[in-house]
Amino acid sequence: MSHHLFLLSPSDTPLYSLTHYSTKPIPSTGSALTSNLPSWSTSAFAGTLTALSGASSATQSHHVQGGAARMGGGQDRHVIQMIANASLDVVEDVMRKDGAMYLKSVDKFNEWMVSAFITPGNMKFVLLHEAKNDDGIKSFFNEVWELYVKTMLNPFHTAHTSIRSPVFDARVRTSAKKYL
Amino acid sequence: MDTHAFASLAHVRILLVPAGSIQPSTFERFASEIRAFDEIRLGDIPADQKDERARFMPNPMATGQLHLSFPSHPPPSTHSNLSLFRPSHFTLGVIGIGACSETETLSSTLDHFNASLADIVPPGSLYPLAKNCFIFEDNGSSTNLNLGDGTSGLVVIPSMMGNKKLYIGTLLADLCSHIIGEFGRLVSVLESPLGNEYLNATMFPILPALSEMPRQLDMGSLPPLPAQHSQPELSAAHTNRSQAGLVLPRVSSSGPGVNPIRQSTLGVPGSRNKRNSGIGVASSPGRLYKVLGDFFLLSGRIEDATIWYTEATVSLKLLQDAAWNASALEGLATTSIMEAWLSGQGLVKSKEPWAEVSDKLAQATTMYYKANPMASDSELNHFYLAYLYSTAAIRQASLYFSIWSAKGWGPLAFTTMLQPGANPYLPPTLSNSEHNTTLNLERLSITSGISRSTVAGHLAQAHGPWLVHLGPTDRLAVLETMASMYACLGYKRKEAYVLREVLGCIMDLLVCGREENRKPSTSPGNTGLGIRNVSLSVPGTVGVRQNESAEGNASILRLLKYVCRVLGIDLEAVKLVHTAEISPEDGETASTDSMLPEDDALEVSQEVYGWPELQIGVIREAIAVAESLPDYLIVAQIAASSLKTMHPVLAPADQQHLYATSGRALTTAQRRGETTQIEYWAGRPVVSVAISTLPFIRLPIEKPMSILKARLTGTNPILTGAIDPFLYNPRKSLLVKGKSLVIQNEPLELIVTLRNPFVFDLELQALSISTSGVPFESKSVAVVLPANMPHTVTLVGRPLQTGTLVIRGCIVQAPGGTPREFALPLSTDEEEESSARKRSAIECEIDRSKYSGLDSRPWAKSSKRLSSVSARFQPKMSHALLECKVVPEQPLLRIRRTTLTHGAVMLYNGEMSTIRLTMENVSTLPIDFLRLSFDDSTTAPAQHALAEGELSVFDTYETEYDLIHKPAFTWQSQKESNNIGAGQKAVLTVTCFGKVGCTSGAIHVAYSYVHRPLAEGAQEPDVFHTRQLTYPVVVTVYHMLECHGMDILPFDGVEDGESEEAEEAEEAEEAADGHRRHLLGVAETGWSIFSIDVRNTYGLPFDVTFSCTQDSKCTPVSATLTVPPGSTSRVVVPVKKFLLSEEHIAKPIPTLSDRQFVVTKSKLTSEEQRTQRELFWYREELFKLIQAHWRESGGTRHGELSLRQQRMTLPMLEALRTDPVEVTMSLVRASDEATPIDKKGGRYDSPANEFLLMKTLITNMSPAPLTLVTDLTMTPSEHLIYEGVLSHIPVGNLQPGQSLELETPLCFLSLGRFELRAEVRHADTVKRAGAGLLKAAVRVV
Repeated sequence: MSHHLFLLSPSDTPLYSLTHYSTKPIPSTGSALTSNLPSWSTSAFAGTLTALSGASSATQSHHVQGGAARMGGGQDRHVIQMIANASLDVVEDVMRKDGAMYLKSVDKFNEWMVSAFITPGNMKFVLLHEAKNDDGIKSFFNEVWELYVKTMLNPFHTAHTSIRSPVFDARVRTSAKKYL
Repeated sequence: MDTHAFASLAHVRILLVPAGSIQPSTFERFASEIRAFDEIRLGDIPADQKDERARFMPNPMATGQLHLSFPSHPPPSTHSNLSLFRPSHFTLGVIGIGACSETETLSSTLDHFNASLADIVPPGSLYPLAKNCFIFEDNGSSTNLNLGDGTSGLVVIPSMMGNKKLYIGTLLADLCSHIIGEFGRLVSVLESPLGNEYLNATMFPILPALSEMPRQLDMGSLPPLPAQHSQPELSAAHTNRSQAGLVLPRVSSSGPGVNPIRQSTLGVPGSRNKRNSGIGVASSPGRLYKVLGDFFLLSGRIEDATIWYTEATVSLKLLQDAAWNASALEGLATTSIMEAWLSGQGLVKSKEPWAEVSDKLAQATTMYYKANPMASDSELNHFYLAYLYSTAAIRQASLYFSIWSAKGWGPLAFTTMLQPGANPYLPPTLSNSEHNTTLNLERLSITSGISRSTVAGHLAQAHGPWLVHLGPTDRLAVLETMASMYACLGYKRKEAYVLREVLGCIMDLLVCGREENRKPSTSPGNTGLGIRNVSLSVPGTVGVRQNESAEGNASILRLLKYVCRVLGIDLEAVKLVHTAEISPEDGETASTDSMLPEDDALEVSQEVYGWPELQIGVIREAIAVAESLPDYLIVAQIAASSLKTMHPVLAPADQQHLYATSGRALTTAQRRGETTQIEYWAGRPVVSVAISTLPFIRLPIEKPMSILKARLTGTNPILTGAIDPFLYNPRKSLLVKGKSLVIQNEPLELIVTLRNPFVFDLELQALSISTSGVPFESKSVAVVLPANMPHTVTLVGRPLQTGTLVIRGCIVQAPGGTPREFALPLSTDEEEESSARKRSAIECEIDRSKYSGLDSRPWAKSSKRLSSVSARFQPKMSHALLECKVVPEQPLLRIRRTTLTHGAVMLYNGEMSTIRLTMENVSTLPIDFLRLSFDDSTTAPAQHALAEGELSVFDTYETEYDLIHKPAFTWQSQKESNNIGAGQKAVLTVTCFGKVGCTSGAIHVAYSYVHRPLAEGAQEPDVFHTRQLTYPVVVTVYHMLECHGMDILPFDGVEDGESEEAEEAEEAEEAADGHRRHLLGVAETGWSIFSIDVRNTYGLPFDVTFSCTQDSKCTPVSATLTVPPGSTSRVVVPVKKFLLSEEHIAKPIPTLSDRQFVVTKSKLTSEEQRTQRELFWYREELFKLIQAHWRESGGTRHGELSLRQQRMTLPMLEALRTDPVEVTMSLVRASDEATPIDKKGGRYDSPANEFLLMKTLITNMSPAPLTLVTDLTMTPSEHLIYEGVLSHIPVGNLQPGQSLELETPLCFLSLGRFELRAEVRHADTVKRAGAGLLKAAVRVV
């Protein structure tokens, strides 16, 4: 099961992204509709369509059940990013009415659930996950927030600077391992 | 196109097709008349059938409507398996629309209609159930109205008919009645055991063509079989009951006579499939109930539909026939909405009346999702299930969407759900673009009680991998529906996501279609189909674009640009320009906008919006789409736009790729004869334009004509460097900033600095200078700018006329693009200030994130930001441009040769030498003006010292004197000609004077062609231009003779030597020197001796001559002596005393320049000042008298020796100046005759012990009257006696020229020498005014 974390600046630019593969099994989708997908066209555009509709990711996840083989992008990274970006619509809508920082499972698209965390500075942490894990995600977000705030203490760091600190990265990974 | 209306299950679809030869516009006109009927009241439907057809007929008094929808095309043939599962999906009726024409008979029109129907409807299809052909009679063309026999399915609508609308309504009602009747027939077939068997055969069964059915089934007139089960009766009973208006009490689940035994077998319908032989065996009625429900729903009989659906769900649930069950639930949901609408237009009290409907739909969706497609024909079942699932999910979403967009549960919501009309996803609440704000969307959410995220959540259910199962058109329909809903919700990013899939779909069809088209078998007649049609047509008959019809490309590109805009990329950042629009006057129009240089500057500080990885991905896709359309111009535009807007985030490889793509695409586009070009895109490459200064010899200098006229002031400009009477001239700085001068017809070099912000080498096809004013001839050059660095290019041009040349900037053209002018205004102070203000405003805002998300896209944000808003209100500033003045052609002179070797001259101090310069006029113009000016290394420090003004008056004078009277170089201009003809030569002679401290000098030759022939009527120009030549000279001056210790001693005549004889002997010996002796022997007073030490510091002996030339009475005297190297010699020259007049002395020390003296700084008393003036003037006078020259001993070199270093002291002055009072003393015997005493050798030879009379004659020589006293001294006083007082003898007032003689009697008492002195003093100041001396020798007589 994989998780994708994106830290988005107010101008929708990702400042940090993380793909985390946990050892937990993927909950089976259980639908016949997603299986036996035909390869209906060979053109490049069909490939885009297949990827965007989530077909390729679904087939991939069916093909390789083991965790190790999925490394290196079983899921199309571009599609993941598109989904994260698209989910911002819902996140922005919901955060306007809901004062909470943690928006759990605010959106669902193509098997992906999207949870978000809005900092007071209008940074958005977007997490794509496949299974419900509300408490874990909440704790994870809180830890990431703390790490982010510590990064922001750097006077040279603005809301639009991408985070390249290896320490930040390592700690977020640890936290992901712990909660996700 | 499928519109996925919520109530599509209740819609009777009627297809409108053109019949015969009808104009598309005519067809559209009539079709729209028919389409106006979106519902038909049940009461209007004729219900005259009596047989089984009457089963679904409405009650005579029934209220309610039959909902019609008019799709543009029938469902694709692949959907035929759904014909029983979802009859509402198919076109139940077909109306042919024809027009009366003179060429066609009605029958032929009908034939044509039937034929085209056969094309449209796949063979063996159940539908359409009814067809008709409406022939509209057009105005006045009623010729062929012969209704033949074979025209049963044809109605002619005359144009003259008054109430055409009503008539059409009636015709439609007839058609509907027909359709409803056919429902009855169909059901009767299905009710038969065989039919039921077919119905339950597979998951999505099809009824074989009616001809294949058993005979009796085909005969509609036969009564249905009195079958094993009681369905017909039951249904009839139902019908009757409902017709009677009875409310049917709910019966138990087995109510309509279901045999529960069947359940076990029906559980595995797949196995049943194999036993087709066993048709006739009764099956479960569950599916039949559902079909009944469908038909009742279509017939507008909602109550019956509800009943049958409920029955169906109950029985199907038991059978676990998920798909059918779900479909029944969908039907139920539809019916409940319809019911709610019919009963009081949905005025319900409950809070969420749609909850129940939504639940049903949710159930249905889940069932479809979980339904297990049979293994045998899984391919198709997958497709159907996916389709049904998506439809159901969309149905649920559209329920919420309708309620949301209609501001809640009300008539508007029902209308949206039931009769969506042409724009189903643009509800009236959102149709106005002004209302489409977040605020308004939010308001909809609040009034309706449904949040946007809920709608989006339901809609997202329809999206998933199963979309791959769908056929291309269905997928397109589903995706389009989703996209439009997201758009209305204001979820732009989700919309963009889906639109990308839509694009993928369309492009896939396009590409595949093209590949199919390559097969030679395809007929070329099918060309010209636009992309729209491609997407709409049935697979297999995919449209072909052979001649590259661009129709529809624009729509695809619009989608593309929209998607990119949502992701924050402006694909139209670079505009397309028609080549034809670029006219020569373009420069004028461009002048206004290009004056704002900030507009297109690639701001480094520009904030980055969006997700770079996504943006790059989308751009790549966009390029791929545009390439495969193919629209190469757009490819170039996309590539250039993304380079322009996104180059800060693009990786080098991407930039290079995009650049290459754009170049390639432009080349292709141009090769294909594209007349449109992309505008210049590569940022603002031009950093600056500067006029390269002309080489010094070519540089013209402007002079006013007036300086050629008489020189008014005699001031020598060399003193001050420049003629400026003010110490501080505020206008000086303005003068310096004059326009630079450029010469007509001579090359002008412009240095253009360019900058390339990209990582690739930017190629500029043309770079040229944009000018206005005087015509300027220049060529454009092609430049390759190296990556990421500034680059300098020199452009050469030639101004063709005189006047003002304005250099506006540069015109830059990228390969294949249009030229673009970049103006380069000179930055003035206020402009600098405003740009600095703007910059700081931007910097201030750069990290603020007030607007997030889509509002922070660059173009959205910039409109709100203060920096840009305030900039708009700023007054438009006029920009100054680089200007230069083009002056007429000028001659050109060069130095051909000189007499100097290596340009060096070596001189002794004070030596003169000449330099000859041979000049050649190398131009075609004559030179009629020539001036020489000089410069040497001593002038600048002297000028500087003068300018500082710290020097004393005396020093100032000395310095000025040095500058004016002793220049290092001089030119005798009057001796030489000023004219040099074209191509001629002239020699200039310059005198060079050796001055110590001079190390280098320069000869400046200014020349011009002043007196040009004037054009007729032209005014005499008030300026002319000169050019300059400079010849540097290295000067070495040896300092060899030093004068010091100047002294002036009083000289009272030569005291006789010891003896007269000796003296006389000397006289004889030195006859040659007699003159000097004579000089020294002058008896009278009034001489002084000038002496000076001359030291030779050089290695060669020099002869030094000092000469004194006094007034004409005296013969000039001179002294010459040789000064050996290293030694010092004293030179002595007698100088006659002189007296300067009072007026002469009263003059202040002059300044030779016209410098402004504000305050005299001296704090001396007037007495001291007078003394200073005296010193000054006497010194001046002395130097006029005494000339010093040197000559190389045994050589020819000679020169002057300057005495100006010498200072004059007060004693020297006293010695030099003649006293104002002349005192002459003489001795006479004090006898009566008063015989004078003999004088010998300047001494009176007086006797001793004899009374003598000393006469002292005091004469006032001064021009003023003097009051004097006299003191007498006699030494040795003890050896003589005298009478009277010696001191303070009053002389009294003497008028000028007046004399007074004092007589003092005395007697020498001893032998010896006596000195008698008289000193005349001013009576008041006790200052010495004159003195006299008398020497007497008393001897033995």
